[in-house]
Amino acid sequence: MRKLVQTIFILTMMSLPFAALADYPEKPITLIVPYQAGGSMETMARVFAEELGNELNINVLVRTQPGAGGKIGTTAASRAIADGYTLLFAPESTVLWPPIAENVNYSLSSFDPIIRVTDLPQAIVTSKSSGIETFEDLLALSAAQSMSYADQNSISRAFVDYIAMREQVVWVAVPTKGGGEMVPFLLGNKVNFAWSGGAHNRYLDQMNVVLSMTAAPQETMPEVPTMQERYGVSMPGGATIWAPAGLSEELRAKLTEAAITAAHSEAFNDLMMNTLGFPLADLTGSQLTAELMTINEDLAAIYEETAP
Amino acid sequence: MLDIILQAFAAALEPMNLLFIALGIALGIVIGVLPGLGSVTAMAVLIPITFYMSPLAAIAFLVGVNKGGTSGGAIPAILLNSPGSPEAAATAWDGYPMAKRGEAFRAMKFSLFSSVTGDTISDLLLIVLVVPFAAFALQFGPVEYTAVLLFSFALIAGIAGDSPLKSGIGIFFGILLSTIGLDPVASTSRFTFGQLKLEDGLSLSALAIGALALSSVVIQLSDLITRREKDDFASNQADTKAGRSVSAREFFSYWRTLIRGALTGSLVGMLPGLGVTLASFLSYSAAKRASKNGDNFGKGEPEGIIATESANSAVVGSNLIPTIALGIPGNIAAALLVGALVMHGVVPGPFMLSMHGELIYGLFASMILANIFHLIIGRAGLSLWVQFARYPRRLILPPVLMFCIFGIYLPAQSLWDVGVMLAFAGLGILFTRARISIVCTVIGFLLGGMFETSLRQALLLHQVEGISILASPLALVFLLLTIAVLSRAIWRSQKESNKSA
Repeated sequence: MRKLVQTIFILTMMSLPFAALADYPEKPITLIVPYQAGGSMETMARVFAEELGNELNINVLVRTQPGAGGKIGTTAASRAIADGYTLLFAPESTVLWPPIAENVNYSLSSFDPIIRVTDLPQAIVTSKSSGIETFEDLLALSAAQSMSYADQNSISRAFVDYIAMREQVVWVAVPTKGGGEMVPFLLGNKVNFAWSGGAHNRYLDQMNVVLSMTAAPQETMPEVPTMQERYGVSMPGGATIWAPAGLSEELRAKLTEAAITAAHSEAFNDLMMNTLGFPLADLTGSQLTAELMTINEDLAAIYEETAP
Repeated sequence: MLDIILQAFAAALEPMNLLFIALGIALGIVIGVLPGLGSVTAMAVLIPITFYMSPLAAIAFLVGVNKGGTSGGAIPAILLNSPGSPEAAATAWDGYPMAKRGEAFRAMKFSLFSSVTGDTISDLLLIVLVVPFAAFALQFGPVEYTAVLLFSFALIAGIAGDSPLKSGIGIFFGILLSTIGLDPVASTSRFTFGQLKLEDGLSLSALAIGALALSSVVIQLSDLITRREKDDFASNQADTKAGRSVSAREFFSYWRTLIRGALTGSLVGMLPGLGVTLASFLSYSAAKRASKNGDNFGKGEPEGIIATESANSAVVGSNLIPTIALGIPGNIAAALLVGALVMHGVVPGPFMLSMHGELIYGLFASMILANIFHLIIGRAGLSLWVQFARYPRRLILPPVLMFCIFGIYLPAQSLWDVGVMLAFAGLGILFTRARISIVCTVIGFLLGGMFETSLRQALLLHQVEGISILASPLALVFLLLTIAVLSRAIWRSQKESNKSA
């Protein structure tokens, strides 16, 4: 009798992965966004979720779980079962930076990256009325006096401070709550310059982009110098779909395939290109994993140099 | 210009659009009435539905929800002395005494009519001011915000509770509570005891509903059980026409308060971040000072309700001024609207008006029409809500208690938040018995984060550029006003203690 139960048990367990894949997805999938409803991450997630759902023939529900700069939702996603029913949509910095600089219970190895859908056009910007038109202008002015800048999170501060350290200038970070507070501070000349996560794309008639914080020059403004070419490092800018680590190979392949189709869908392209002004990316598989490892090492190095 | 307006109204008058406006207002009011759920929760829950609507219908629907939700919060404040959200806390001060006296219906009518009037004035201001405003908002930086907030704290300490000193203690306790979580400058944890869930601080809705609504329900229940108070609320309700009606003449005799409230609310709404609750308290305090019935405030004076409700509803319209002029949402409700706009392919930002003028003017037209619906649907709802005044309290209060708990649990599905709410209900009871205004603590908590951030931003800027207060005339005016308000409060309380001695 006991043998029989054991055999049945083992057989059921063995058949589970296949059964799960054959039927996947058989219930709605939850896509966690670790930020407030109403932000650009949530907006991207909603349109992406709709398209992913169309592809998989199931509802993909967006759940916003904001808090602690994205750490609460990311922690929740890292603890979910790796069955493909819980996914996370978060910037790579939210997954990579806290394990290095802060105390959290997750790290890069807690997740399987599925697809990077965009590279956020992070940059250092100035207001047109300030007269600072290029990065050289900014440095020249900084040599004479200390300057204030609007920053938005601990990672942006670490990178801007890194530049200040290399250039031996004094830049004082004034913390702001996201683009919504940065824009009026900069345009009202309350600060000298600002770090921007992408909001500046909507104010290009009133702002100068002086330095791109990305690895490659930004498509729409190739003449702007990048942090990579000047300092040999760049900020992680990818916004990526993640699954909790431990996804079976078949499941991962199926999800990746559906995610690529969703990323290339008309609705998602229209949102990214025409509405938000963010460039599309569709990095997947081992290429994405390898790039994340490199970024992770760069981040650790920056942290070592700028940590108080 | 005229043809743009005509086109806008033509678009707004589409039957589907009207249907969604009406639906939005009705849903907003119902959700606003439920304790613990406000217009923000309502909008967050309903946004996914708007996917399937046309852009104009979607935005108009959400604006309707926001309008209904903001006015709906006054109903439980009046009938149960348990405001559904902090912005209706001052409504309870005069609404509940009126209701207890048997004038529940009248109090609710005053509240609804003031909401609609304040809202309409603010919508008109929105349409006129949206373009020229952009420059004005940019005048407000950290130094100015710090001064405005200090001024607000001084004003609120002067009107809430019976002693400015006790109210001040309440406010500072609230500010202290708001420092739980991540430090805004250094990003290090404070008072979190290693708990990730405390990194974001305490939940505002859990704290506010616990301290304001739940504590009041528990006090009322315990008064009934110990027979300290008779369960005569229902039998008091007036059945005569005079005891229930509000004539247009009576209502508009308060035109000064109405206009003052609407302007206060509109002004606060224009500045991103200050919010609905502050508007309602500032207006209440201004009305109390200006009115010849000032001493009756807090004892069932309709003017108190009018001041509060006209101001908090006025924020709804003017909040869209920074949203449309600069692309900067004035509060969470406006941020949710921006999210919905983006999903429908509209870029929020300074070009919104030029690129999507048709939609924006259609939205303005919808907002004006929505006010008419608001009046009709809200008035019909009153006949329903007033039924609740006819039942004995002992039957009404226990379900309210349950609603508070569900309302707090559901949005984040967090038992922790329920615990926070219960703890603050306990604190609310303690404060009420000690005659310290718990509302002050809630406001201190609500604005404390912003106060701290602005103050520290101002200090950092001072460090770089040596900017002093004197460089900003706006900040200077508000700081001088703060000193004036404080010295007046101290002078008055000394005079009173001399009198009693």
